[in-house]
Amino acid sequence: MFVILDAHVGGSEVVPPHERKTAEKIHLPFIEAFHISIENIRIRFTRSLITLSSVVLGIAFLVFLLTTANVLQVYSELTGTDIPLQSNQYWLVGISLLVCAVSITNSMLIAVYERYKEIGTMKCLGALNSHILMLFLIESALIGLIGGVLGFVLGELIAIISHGMRLGFDVIFSVPMLQVLLNFVLSVFMAITISIIATIYPAYRAANANPAEALRFEI
Amino acid sequence: MKYDYVIETEDLAKYYYVGGTVVKALDGVNVKIVRGEYVSIVGPSGSGKTTLFNMIGGLEKPSKGRVYIDGVDIARLDAYELAWLRCRKIGYIFQTFNLIPVLTALENVALPMIFAGVPREERIKRAKRLLELVGLGDRLHHKPGELSAGQQQRVAIARALANNPAIILADEPTGNLDLHTGREIIGLLKKLNQERGVTIMAATHDIKMIDVSDKIIWIRDGKVEKIGTSKDFKAKIVEE
Repeated sequence: MFVILDAHVGGSEVVPPHERKTAEKIHLPFIEAFHISIENIRIRFTRSLITLSSVVLGIAFLVFLLTTANVLQVYSELTGTDIPLQSNQYWLVGISLLVCAVSITNSMLIAVYERYKEIGTMKCLGALNSHILMLFLIESALIGLIGGVLGFVLGELIAIISHGMRLGFDVIFSVPMLQVLLNFVLSVFMAITISIIATIYPAYRAANANPAEALRFEI
Repeated sequence: MKYDYVIETEDLAKYYYVGGTVVKALDGVNVKIVRGEYVSIVGPSGSGKTTLFNMIGGLEKPSKGRVYIDGVDIARLDAYELAWLRCRKIGYIFQTFNLIPVLTALENVALPMIFAGVPREERIKRAKRLLELVGLGDRLHHKPGELSAGQQQRVAIARALANNPAIILADEPTGNLDLHTGREIIGLLKKLNQERGVTIMAATHDIKMIDVSDKIIWIRDGKVEKIGTSKDFKAKIVEE
Protein backbone atom coordinates (compact mmCIF):
# COMPACT_ATOMS: atom_id res chain seq x y z
CA MET A 1 0.00 0.00 0.00
CA PHE A 2 1.27 3.45 -0.85
CA VAL A 3 0.65 6.95 0.26
CA ILE A 4 1.24 10.06 -1.70
CA LEU A 5 3.49 12.59 -0.07
CA ASP A 6 3.44 16.01 -1.53
CA ALA A 7 5.27 19.15 -0.65
CA HIS A 8 3.78 21.58 -3.11
CA VAL A 9 1.24 21.57 -5.84
CA GLY A 10 2.31 19.11 -8.46
CA GLY A 11 5.31 17.82 -6.56
CA SER A 12 4.00 14.51 -5.33
CA GLU A 13 5.79 11.28 -4.70
CA VAL A 14 4.66 7.77 -3.97
CA VAL A 15 6.20 6.51 -0.76
CA PRO A 16 5.78 3.07 0.80
CA PRO A 17 4.12 3.03 4.26
CA HIS A 18 7.26 2.22 6.26
CA GLU A 19 8.92 5.39 5.01
CA ARG A 20 5.97 7.53 5.95
CA LYS A 21 6.79 10.40 8.27
CA THR A 22 4.82 10.88 11.46
CA ALA A 23 4.37 14.53 10.52
CA GLU A 24 2.22 13.38 7.63
CA LYS A 25 -0.49 12.04 9.94
CA ILE A 26 -4.04 13.25 10.11
CA HIS A 27 -4.72 15.22 13.29
CA LEU A 28 -7.46 16.71 15.35
CA PRO A 29 -5.93 18.02 18.58
CA PHE A 30 -8.21 17.79 21.61
CA ILE A 31 -8.23 21.54 22.13
CA GLU A 32 -9.51 22.16 18.59
CA ALA A 33 -12.17 19.45 18.92
CA PHE A 34 -13.16 21.02 22.23
CA HIS A 35 -13.52 24.42 20.60
CA ILE A 36 -15.75 23.02 17.82
CA SER A 37 -17.90 21.17 20.37
CA ILE A 38 -18.33 24.31 22.49
CA GLU A 39 -19.38 26.25 19.39
CA ASN A 40 -21.83 23.49 18.49
CA ILE A 41 -23.43 23.72 21.93
CA ARG A 42 -23.47 27.52 21.85
CA ILE A 43 -24.82 28.03 18.34
CA ARG A 44 -27.39 25.26 18.47
CA PHE A 45 -28.56 26.51 21.81
CA THR A 46 -32.16 25.27 21.67
CA ARG A 47 -31.15 21.71 20.85
CA SER A 48 -28.48 21.78 23.57
CA LEU A 49 -31.08 23.07 26.00
CA ILE A 50 -33.43 20.17 25.25
CA THR A 51 -30.66 17.63 25.78
CA LEU A 52 -29.52 19.51 28.86
CA SER A 53 -32.96 19.63 30.44
CA SER A 54 -33.28 15.85 30.49
CA VAL A 55 -29.93 15.60 32.31
CA VAL A 56 -30.90 18.34 34.75
CA LEU A 57 -34.23 16.73 35.65
CA GLY A 58 -32.80 13.23 36.11
CA ILE A 59 -29.92 14.46 38.24
CA ALA A 60 -32.14 16.84 40.25
CA PHE A 61 -34.27 13.88 41.24
CA LEU A 62 -31.20 11.86 42.21
CA VAL A 63 -29.84 14.74 44.31
CA PHE A 64 -33.22 15.32 45.92
CA LEU A 65 -33.31 11.71 47.00
CA LEU A 66 -29.71 11.66 48.25
CA THR A 67 -30.27 14.86 50.23
CA THR A 68 -33.55 13.52 51.63
CA ALA A 69 -31.72 10.45 52.90
CA ASN A 70 -29.07 12.67 54.53
CA VAL A 71 -31.65 14.95 56.11
CA LEU A 72 -33.66 12.05 57.54
CA GLN A 73 -30.46 10.52 58.90
CA VAL A 74 -29.58 13.77 60.67
CA TYR A 75 -33.18 14.19 61.87
CA SER A 76 -33.26 10.76 63.47
CA GLU A 77 -29.90 11.43 65.16
CA LEU A 78 -31.16 14.76 66.53
CA THR A 79 -34.64 13.74 67.66
CA GLY A 80 -34.48 9.96 67.98
CA THR A 81 -37.52 9.53 65.73
CA ASP A 82 -37.08 7.56 62.57
CA ILE A 83 -38.80 8.55 59.32
CA PRO A 84 -37.97 5.68 56.96
CA LEU A 85 -37.22 6.55 53.35
CA GLN A 86 -39.52 4.62 51.09
CA SER A 87 -37.43 2.06 49.25
CA ASN A 88 -39.43 2.38 46.04
CA GLN A 89 -37.94 5.86 45.62
CA TYR A 90 -34.63 4.24 44.71
CA TRP A 91 -36.40 2.43 41.92
CA LEU A 92 -37.93 5.66 40.80
CA VAL A 93 -34.59 7.43 40.62
CA GLY A 94 -33.15 4.52 38.63
CA ILE A 95 -35.99 4.71 36.16
CA SER A 96 -35.75 8.47 35.88
CA LEU A 97 -32.04 8.23 35.08
CA LEU A 98 -32.83 5.61 32.43
CA VAL A 99 -35.46 7.89 30.91
CA CYS A 100 -32.90 10.66 30.98
CA ALA A 101 -30.39 8.46 29.10
CA VAL A 102 -32.95 7.48 26.48
CA SER A 103 -33.92 11.07 25.84
CA ILE A 104 -30.26 12.07 25.47
CA THR A 105 -29.81 9.30 22.90
CA ASN A 106 -32.91 10.48 21.08
CA SER A 107 -31.85 14.10 21.12
CA MET A 108 -28.31 13.27 19.96
CA LEU A 109 -29.61 11.09 17.13
CA ILE A 110 -31.59 14.03 15.83
CA ALA A 111 -28.51 16.22 16.27
CA VAL A 112 -26.53 13.75 14.13
CA TYR A 113 -29.08 13.93 11.32
CA GLU A 114 -29.24 17.71 11.54
CA ARG A 115 -25.51 17.76 10.97
CA TYR A 116 -25.28 14.89 8.52
CA LYS A 117 -24.14 17.11 5.68
CA GLU A 118 -21.60 18.78 7.93
CA ILE A 119 -20.23 15.39 8.89
CA GLY A 120 -19.90 14.52 5.20
CA THR A 121 -18.09 17.80 4.61
CA MET A 122 -15.69 17.20 7.48
CA LYS A 123 -14.86 13.81 6.03
CA CYS A 124 -14.20 15.46 2.67
CA LEU A 125 -11.73 17.74 4.39
CA GLY A 126 -9.87 14.79 5.85
CA ALA A 127 -11.58 14.01 9.16
CA LEU A 128 -11.23 10.40 10.34
CA ASN A 129 -14.15 8.46 11.82
CA SER A 130 -12.51 8.80 15.23
CA HIS A 131 -12.54 12.59 14.93
CA ILE A 132 -16.28 12.70 14.34
CA LEU A 133 -16.77 10.33 17.27
CA MET A 134 -14.63 12.56 19.45
CA LEU A 135 -16.60 15.71 18.54
CA PHE A 136 -19.91 14.18 19.61
CA LEU A 137 -18.53 12.60 22.77
CA ILE A 138 -16.89 15.84 23.93
CA GLU A 139 -20.16 17.64 23.30
CA SER A 140 -22.14 15.14 25.35
CA ALA A 141 -19.57 15.13 28.15
CA LEU A 142 -19.89 18.91 28.33
CA ILE A 143 -23.67 18.71 28.38
CA GLY A 144 -23.35 16.08 31.11
CA LEU A 145 -21.07 18.36 33.13
CA ILE A 146 -23.33 21.41 32.86
CA GLY A 147 -26.46 19.30 33.40
CA GLY A 148 -24.89 17.63 36.43
CA VAL A 149 -24.04 20.95 38.10
CA LEU A 150 -27.43 22.53 37.32
CA GLY A 151 -29.26 19.35 38.34
CA PHE A 152 -27.41 19.34 41.64
CA VAL A 153 -28.34 22.94 42.34
CA LEU A 154 -32.01 22.35 41.43
CA GLY A 155 -32.32 19.10 43.42
CA GLU A 156 -30.58 20.60 46.42
CA LEU A 157 -32.80 23.71 46.38
CA ILE A 158 -36.01 21.68 46.19
CA ALA A 159 -34.80 19.38 48.99
CA ILE A 160 -33.78 22.28 51.25
CA ILE A 161 -37.05 24.14 50.76
CA SER A 162 -39.41 21.19 51.05
CA HIS A 163 -37.68 19.48 54.01
CA GLY A 164 -36.83 22.78 55.65
CA MET A 165 -40.50 23.73 55.75
CA ARG A 166 -41.44 20.33 57.15
CA LEU A 167 -38.60 19.53 59.56
CA GLY A 168 -37.06 22.96 60.24
CA PHE A 169 -34.04 24.54 58.57
CA ASP A 170 -31.72 23.82 61.51
CA VAL A 171 -31.99 20.12 60.63
CA ILE A 172 -31.07 20.82 57.01
CA PHE A 173 -27.98 22.79 57.95
CA SER A 174 -26.82 20.08 60.32
CA VAL A 175 -26.09 17.84 57.33
CA PRO A 176 -22.28 17.63 57.15
CA MET A 177 -20.69 19.67 54.35
CA LEU A 178 -18.59 16.68 53.33
CA GLN A 179 -21.78 14.74 52.62
CA VAL A 180 -23.05 17.54 50.38
CA LEU A 181 -19.74 17.63 48.56
CA LEU A 182 -19.89 13.86 48.10
CA ASN A 183 -23.39 14.17 46.62
CA PHE A 184 -22.13 16.87 44.29
CA VAL A 185 -19.25 14.75 43.00
CA LEU A 186 -21.51 11.73 42.61
CA SER A 187 -24.21 13.61 40.71
CA VAL A 188 -21.77 15.29 38.30
CA PHE A 189 -19.98 11.98 37.74
CA MET A 190 -23.30 10.23 37.08
CA ALA A 191 -24.44 12.99 34.71
CA ILE A 192 -21.26 12.82 32.61
CA THR A 193 -21.25 9.02 32.54
CA ILE A 194 -24.90 8.72 31.54
CA SER A 195 -24.48 11.43 28.94
CA ILE A 196 -21.47 9.75 27.34
CA ILE A 197 -22.99 6.26 27.39
CA ALA A 198 -26.21 7.59 25.85
CA THR A 199 -24.25 9.28 23.05
CA ILE A 200 -22.13 6.29 22.02
CA TYR A 201 -24.69 4.97 19.55
CA PRO A 202 -25.54 8.31 17.86
CA ALA A 203 -21.84 9.23 17.70
CA TYR A 204 -21.02 5.85 16.18
CA ARG A 205 -23.71 6.38 13.55
CA ALA A 206 -22.24 9.78 12.72
CA ALA A 207 -18.66 8.52 12.59
CA ASN A 208 -19.51 5.73 10.17
CA ALA A 209 -21.52 7.90 7.80
CA ASN A 210 -20.68 7.38 4.15
CA PRO A 211 -19.39 10.79 3.04
CA ALA A 212 -21.03 10.71 -0.41
CA GLU A 213 -24.37 9.80 1.13
CA ALA A 214 -23.99 12.37 3.88
CA LEU A 215 -23.32 15.11 1.32
CA ARG A 216 -26.49 14.23 -0.57
CA PHE A 217 -28.52 14.34 2.61
CA GLU A 218 -31.12 17.09 2.86
CA ILE A 219 -33.30 17.59 5.90
CA MET B 1 8.71 9.66 -10.41
CA LYS B 2 6.20 11.93 -12.14
CA TYR B 3 2.98 10.95 -13.77
CA ASP B 4 1.60 12.53 -16.90
CA TYR B 5 -1.95 12.35 -15.65
CA VAL B 6 -3.01 13.75 -12.32
CA ILE B 7 -6.37 11.99 -12.63
CA GLU B 8 -6.99 8.87 -14.64
CA THR B 9 -10.03 6.61 -14.62
CA GLU B 10 -10.19 3.17 -16.13
CA ASP B 11 -13.56 1.67 -17.09
CA LEU B 12 -15.11 3.37 -14.10
CA ALA B 13 -18.63 2.16 -13.33
CA LYS B 14 -21.14 2.62 -10.56
CA TYR B 15 -24.30 0.58 -10.34
CA TYR B 16 -27.10 1.18 -7.90
CA TYR B 17 -29.74 -1.40 -7.18
CA VAL B 18 -33.10 0.27 -6.88
CA GLY B 19 -36.12 -1.91 -6.36
CA GLY B 20 -34.55 -4.95 -8.00
CA THR B 21 -33.37 -3.15 -11.13
CA VAL B 22 -29.86 -1.98 -11.86
CA VAL B 23 -29.35 1.74 -12.41
CA LYS B 24 -26.08 2.48 -14.16
CA ALA B 25 -25.04 5.86 -12.80
CA LEU B 26 -21.68 5.47 -14.53
CA ASP B 27 -20.92 2.87 -17.13
CA GLY B 28 -17.33 2.52 -18.23
CA VAL B 29 -15.85 6.00 -18.03
CA ASN B 30 -12.26 6.59 -19.19
CA VAL B 31 -10.87 10.05 -18.65
CA LYS B 32 -7.32 11.34 -18.43
CA ILE B 33 -6.63 14.73 -16.92
CA VAL B 34 -3.25 16.38 -17.37
CA ARG B 35 -1.72 18.37 -14.51
CA GLY B 36 -2.76 22.03 -14.58
CA GLU B 37 -5.71 21.53 -16.87
CA TYR B 38 -9.05 23.23 -16.39
CA VAL B 39 -11.64 20.62 -17.25
CA SER B 40 -15.40 21.01 -17.39
CA ILE B 41 -17.73 18.07 -17.14
CA VAL B 42 -21.03 18.77 -18.83
CA GLY B 43 -24.14 16.71 -19.21
CA PRO B 44 -27.82 16.74 -18.29
CA SER B 45 -28.71 16.30 -14.63
CA GLY B 46 -28.71 12.66 -13.67
CA SER B 47 -26.02 11.89 -16.24
CA GLY B 48 -23.56 10.79 -13.58
CA LYS B 49 -21.46 13.92 -13.04
CA THR B 50 -21.72 13.92 -9.26
CA THR B 51 -21.14 10.18 -9.12
CA LEU B 52 -17.95 10.65 -11.13
CA PHE B 53 -16.82 13.36 -8.72
CA ASN B 54 -17.55 11.28 -5.68
CA MET B 55 -15.49 8.44 -7.05
CA ILE B 56 -12.54 10.57 -8.14
CA GLY B 57 -12.63 12.25 -4.74
CA GLY B 58 -12.55 8.90 -2.95
CA LEU B 59 -15.94 9.50 -1.33
CA GLU B 60 -17.62 6.50 -2.90
CA LYS B 61 -16.29 3.16 -4.08
CA PRO B 62 -16.80 2.24 -7.72
CA SER B 63 -18.65 -0.96 -8.64
CA LYS B 64 -16.06 -1.60 -11.33
CA GLY B 65 -12.96 0.03 -12.69
CA ARG B 66 -10.20 2.11 -11.18
CA VAL B 67 -9.33 5.67 -10.27
CA TYR B 68 -5.70 6.76 -10.29
CA ILE B 69 -4.66 9.96 -8.59
CA ASP B 70 -1.05 10.75 -9.49
CA GLY B 71 -0.71 7.19 -10.68
CA VAL B 72 -1.91 5.68 -7.38
CA ASP B 73 -4.91 3.38 -7.48
CA ILE B 74 -7.08 4.84 -4.71
CA ALA B 75 -8.94 1.55 -4.19
CA ARG B 76 -5.73 0.29 -2.61
CA LEU B 77 -5.63 3.01 0.03
CA ASP B 78 -6.87 2.25 3.54
CA ALA B 79 -9.29 4.54 5.42
CA TYR B 80 -6.42 6.49 6.88
CA GLU B 81 -4.65 7.08 3.57
CA LEU B 82 -7.95 7.98 1.95
CA ALA B 83 -8.54 10.66 4.59
CA TRP B 84 -5.03 11.87 3.89
CA LEU B 85 -5.80 12.06 0.16
CA ARG B 86 -8.99 14.03 0.76
CA CYS B 87 -7.17 16.33 3.15
CA ARG B 88 -4.03 17.19 1.20
CA LYS B 89 -4.45 16.19 -2.36
CA ILE B 90 -7.98 17.24 -3.26
CA GLY B 91 -9.97 20.37 -2.55
CA TYR B 92 -13.74 20.15 -2.83
CA ILE B 93 -16.16 22.87 -3.81
CA PHE B 94 -19.89 22.18 -3.68
CA GLN B 95 -22.97 23.73 -5.18
CA THR B 96 -24.38 24.28 -1.69
CA PHE B 97 -21.04 25.60 -0.30
CA ASN B 98 -21.15 23.23 2.71
CA LEU B 99 -19.36 25.48 5.16
CA ILE B 100 -19.41 24.48 8.81
CA PRO B 101 -22.09 26.85 10.16
CA VAL B 102 -20.74 27.07 13.72
CA LEU B 103 -17.27 28.19 12.64
CA THR B 104 -16.17 31.59 11.33
CA ALA B 105 -14.82 32.07 7.81
CA LEU B 106 -11.28 31.97 9.18
CA GLU B 107 -11.94 28.79 11.17
CA ASN B 108 -13.60 27.13 8.19
CA VAL B 109 -10.54 27.77 6.05
CA ALA B 110 -8.23 26.64 8.86
CA LEU B 111 -10.09 23.37 9.49
CA PRO B 112 -8.42 21.26 6.78
CA MET B 113 -5.08 22.58 8.05
CA ILE B 114 -5.90 21.32 11.56
CA PHE B 115 -6.39 17.86 10.09
CA ALA B 116 -3.13 18.23 8.19
CA GLY B 117 -1.29 19.10 11.41
CA VAL B 118 -0.30 22.65 10.51
CA PRO B 119 0.70 24.56 13.68
CA ARG B 120 -1.78 27.14 14.94
CA GLU B 121 0.14 30.32 14.11
CA GLU B 122 0.91 29.13 10.61
CA ARG B 123 -2.68 28.01 10.15
CA ILE B 124 -4.16 31.38 11.02
CA LYS B 125 -1.62 33.16 8.85
CA ARG B 126 -2.32 30.95 5.84
CA ALA B 127 -6.10 31.09 6.29
CA LYS B 128 -5.96 34.89 6.43
CA ARG B 129 -3.86 35.00 3.29
CA LEU B 130 -6.24 32.68 1.45
CA LEU B 131 -9.28 34.72 2.46
CA GLU B 132 -7.50 37.86 1.25
CA LEU B 133 -6.75 36.06 -2.00
CA VAL B 134 -10.46 35.40 -2.58
CA GLY B 135 -11.29 38.98 -1.62
CA LEU B 136 -12.68 38.40 1.88
CA GLY B 137 -9.93 39.96 3.97
CA ASP B 138 -12.54 42.02 5.82
CA ARG B 139 -14.88 39.09 6.62
CA LEU B 140 -12.52 36.87 8.61
CA HIS B 141 -14.67 36.56 11.71
CA HIS B 142 -18.09 36.28 10.11
CA LYS B 143 -20.04 33.06 10.37
CA PRO B 144 -21.38 31.56 7.10
CA GLY B 145 -24.90 32.73 8.01
CA GLU B 146 -23.67 36.32 7.98
CA LEU B 147 -22.22 36.06 4.48
CA SER B 148 -23.88 36.29 1.08
CA ALA B 149 -24.02 33.25 -1.20
CA GLY B 150 -21.13 34.52 -3.29
CA GLN B 151 -19.04 35.23 -0.21
CA GLN B 152 -19.78 31.77 1.17
CA GLN B 153 -18.58 30.21 -2.06
CA ARG B 154 -15.41 32.30 -1.84
CA VAL B 155 -14.80 30.96 1.67
CA ALA B 156 -15.35 27.46 0.29
CA ILE B 157 -12.77 28.11 -2.44
CA ALA B 158 -10.28 29.38 0.14
CA ARG B 159 -10.96 26.27 2.21
CA ALA B 160 -10.46 24.03 -0.83
CA LEU B 161 -7.02 25.63 -1.29
CA ALA B 162 -6.02 25.30 2.36
CA ASN B 163 -3.58 22.42 2.03
CA ASN B 164 -2.28 23.33 -1.42
CA PRO B 165 -4.11 20.53 -3.20
CA ALA B 166 -3.08 19.34 -6.64
CA ILE B 167 -6.71 18.99 -7.68
CA ILE B 168 -9.86 20.98 -7.09
CA LEU B 169 -13.12 19.16 -7.68
CA ALA B 170 -16.01 21.56 -8.08
CA ASP B 171 -19.52 20.23 -8.39
CA GLU B 172 -21.73 22.92 -9.95
CA PRO B 173 -19.88 25.72 -8.12
CA THR B 174 -22.04 28.43 -9.70
CA GLY B 175 -25.31 26.51 -9.50
CA ASN B 176 -26.67 28.50 -6.56
CA LEU B 177 -25.28 31.88 -7.56
CA ASP B 178 -26.64 34.73 -9.66
CA LEU B 179 -25.11 35.55 -13.03
CA HIS B 180 -22.74 38.25 -11.83
CA THR B 181 -21.49 36.39 -8.76
CA GLY B 182 -21.16 33.22 -10.81
CA ARG B 183 -18.92 35.05 -13.25
CA GLU B 184 -16.74 36.32 -10.39
CA ILE B 185 -16.37 32.81 -8.99
CA ILE B 186 -15.43 31.45 -12.40
CA GLY B 187 -12.87 34.22 -12.83
CA LEU B 188 -11.41 33.35 -9.45
CA LEU B 189 -11.16 29.64 -10.27
CA LYS B 190 -9.52 30.40 -13.61
CA LYS B 191 -7.04 32.72 -11.91
CA LEU B 192 -6.12 30.05 -9.38
CA ASN B 193 -5.74 27.56 -12.19
CA GLN B 194 -3.38 29.83 -14.09
CA GLU B 195 -1.40 31.30 -11.21
CA ARG B 196 -1.08 28.26 -8.95
CA GLY B 197 -1.20 25.53 -11.56
CA VAL B 198 -3.90 23.69 -9.66
CA THR B 199 -5.85 21.23 -11.77
CA ILE B 200 -9.53 22.08 -11.79
CA MET B 201 -12.29 19.67 -12.64
CA ALA B 202 -15.72 21.26 -12.54
CA ALA B 203 -19.15 19.89 -13.28
CA THR B 204 -21.31 22.58 -14.77
CA HIS B 205 -24.28 23.67 -16.81
CA ASP B 206 -22.82 27.12 -16.95
CA ILE B 207 -21.73 28.27 -20.40
CA LYS B 208 -19.44 30.95 -18.87
CA MET B 209 -17.55 28.19 -17.13
CA ILE B 210 -17.17 26.22 -20.34
CA ASP B 211 -15.60 29.21 -22.08
CA VAL B 212 -12.60 29.22 -19.76
CA SER B 213 -12.01 25.45 -19.91
CA ASP B 214 -9.06 23.77 -21.57
CA LYS B 215 -11.02 20.61 -22.07
CA ILE B 216 -14.68 19.64 -21.95
CA ILE B 217 -15.98 16.19 -21.25
CA TRP B 218 -19.57 15.44 -22.21
CA ILE B 219 -21.29 12.80 -20.18
CA ARG B 220 -24.62 11.25 -21.00
CA ASP B 221 -26.29 8.27 -19.35
CA GLY B 222 -23.14 7.41 -17.44
CA LYS B 223 -20.92 7.32 -20.49
CA VAL B 224 -18.42 9.74 -21.98
CA GLU B 225 -20.04 10.98 -25.13
CA LYS B 226 -17.34 13.29 -26.36
CA ILE B 227 -14.18 15.03 -25.25
CA GLY B 228 -13.28 18.34 -26.83
CA THR B 229 -12.64 22.07 -26.46
CA SER B 230 -15.05 24.97 -25.95
CA LYS B 231 -15.12 25.50 -29.75
CA ASP B 232 -16.45 21.98 -30.17
CA PHE B 233 -19.00 22.71 -27.52
CA LYS B 234 -20.36 25.72 -29.37
CA ALA B 235 -20.47 23.72 -32.58
CA LYS B 236 -22.36 21.04 -30.77
CA ILE B 237 -24.95 23.46 -29.45
CA VAL B 238 -25.51 24.79 -32.96
CA GLU B 239 -25.78 21.22 -34.21
CA GLU B 240 -28.44 20.34 -31.70
